[in-house]
Amino acid sequence: MAVVSNRMIRPDVGRVWFRSRALARQARPGQFLHLRVPDANAAILRRPFSIHDVVGDRIAILYRVVGDGTRALSALSAGAPVDVIGPLGIPFRVMPSRPPLVVAGGIGIAPLQFLLRRMTARGLHPRLLYGCLTRSALLPHLAVTRAVTTDDGSCGGRGLVTAALAREIGRRPGAAVYACGPWPMLRETARLCRERGVPCQVSLEARMACGVGACQGCAVKGTAGYLTACHDGPVFDARTIDWDQGVAV
Amino acid sequence: MAARRDAIDLSVSFAGLRLKNPVIAASGTFGYGTEYRGLAAAFGAIVTKTVTAAPRAGNAPPRLCETRSGMLNSIGLANVGIEAFLRDKLPALAGCGTVVIANIAGNDVAEYGALARRLDDAPGVAAIEVNISCPNVKQGGAAFGADPAAAAAVTRAVKRATALPVIVKLSPNVSDIAPVARAVAAAGADALSLINTLFGMRIDIERRRPSLGNVTGGLSGPAIMPVALYHVHRACRAVGIPVIGLGGIATAADAVEFMLAGAAAVQIGTATFVDPAAVRSVARGIAGYCRRQGLSRAAEITGGLRC
Repeated sequence: MAVVSNRMIRPDVGRVWFRSRALARQARPGQFLHLRVPDANAAILRRPFSIHDVVGDRIAILYRVVGDGTRALSALSAGAPVDVIGPLGIPFRVMPSRPPLVVAGGIGIAPLQFLLRRMTARGLHPRLLYGCLTRSALLPHLAVTRAVTTDDGSCGGRGLVTAALAREIGRRPGAAVYACGPWPMLRETARLCRERGVPCQVSLEARMACGVGACQGCAVKGTAGYLTACHDGPVFDARTIDWDQGVAV
Repeated sequence: MAARRDAIDLSVSFAGLRLKNPVIAASGTFGYGTEYRGLAAAFGAIVTKTVTAAPRAGNAPPRLCETRSGMLNSIGLANVGIEAFLRDKLPALAGCGTVVIANIAGNDVAEYGALARRLDDAPGVAAIEVNISCPNVKQGGAAFGADPAAAAAVTRAVKRATALPVIVKLSPNVSDIAPVARAVAAAGADALSLINTLFGMRIDIERRRPSLGNVTGGLSGPAIMPVALYHVHRACRAVGIPVIGLGGIATAADAVEFMLAGAAAVQIGTATFVDPAAVRSVARGIAGYCRRQGLSRAAEITGGLRC
């Protein structure tokens, strides 16, 4: 798999497009790629990235530069070969008979862009609720009906995206929720959905080693014991997660 | 005269086992052998994840933390327990195309014996690896591996309980591995494997919290390779039984170093996380080394160190 393009779309967030006919064909929204980034200052492990988008034979991931691995990733230029395992993990299960509410927090838009694209391709009309700290942190996404919230009110409604969700759930009877974002956002999303009897799927992240369920390293606490983010997830039915004791990275 | 390209015999035989190549999947890094689809057959043998008498949930997350040239884990022997292992996991390995070694850990000496007895006539198990070196559990684990008398007691209990070859996996978290190696050999072990992970920890400085939920963990990966090689070298000089070398092996050259130091075979683990195909490049590279050195058999590398 080779890099087609790689650029920073925000000061700390990059988007890289790869070309791989096989991966683009197999990928389903919610799955991830396990990337090996060379020359990452003695960082040896692969890094899991949600599949952000698929267009034709190209496949994209979003990354926030936080450490040696993502810094090395940001330095890859077009044509660079990339060692990837994937697509891995359990994808979102789209419920076509229910109006989709897609809830994103910050860089949590990463797997949801691909989900929105596939939903609209199927003739569904997803509504995106997108929350960010501030206007400049909003990331580009598919043009669907949406409501934006920012913590500081610099774009859209002021406040948390989960407050918007609480309102939207009431307006869309029979909805299904698909969410990715920071742990507190997901916890509140799960709580609201449980309260209203709305099916809710969440995409979780955890530090990973193997990516295939062999090492048990990416454990997430479920209501019936530990689950692996790589193999049992990364997309989970929110009811199977222990939101009180589960630990996010 | 250089050996012919197709003439390198990669097979190794020790402790009553015959492996098609000397590269073994290390316990805990290869699950129950089926997670990496189709990969088991590339190995000379696979060691399944440590199984205990009762199922274990494992430690609180985060269980992983990357380090320079390595990683820390504090999985805590999460496993399905011996009964589910025998019922669900072992049958799935039938026809996996390689030798299966089951790894066990007990809370006490009697439990090690009981686990070995349960595995003794289990179809498809070629040998038992005895984990007396897990750094991430409170009871048992590395405590047995740090004390020659306790290590010998575990070895005797397992040997009494099974006719299968018994491999005892030693801890590097000792001031001298030789006394433990000698005690285990004298107690009847058929082979040793070493090293398990080194105690380690990291701290998230912004949150002022340990990076691992369990506070401390076990260090693996290329960072520990020279330490592992040192212990293997010492153990090979201390005992006459076969030694399986592991610890940070990522390349064929690493594997050859362990074999030159006296290892009859090697295990790779963290390298598989980095590159699932590492087993193939390591095995291929061992053959290449044999060709360069004019050896016809990989087994001839073992103990070839000049010093």
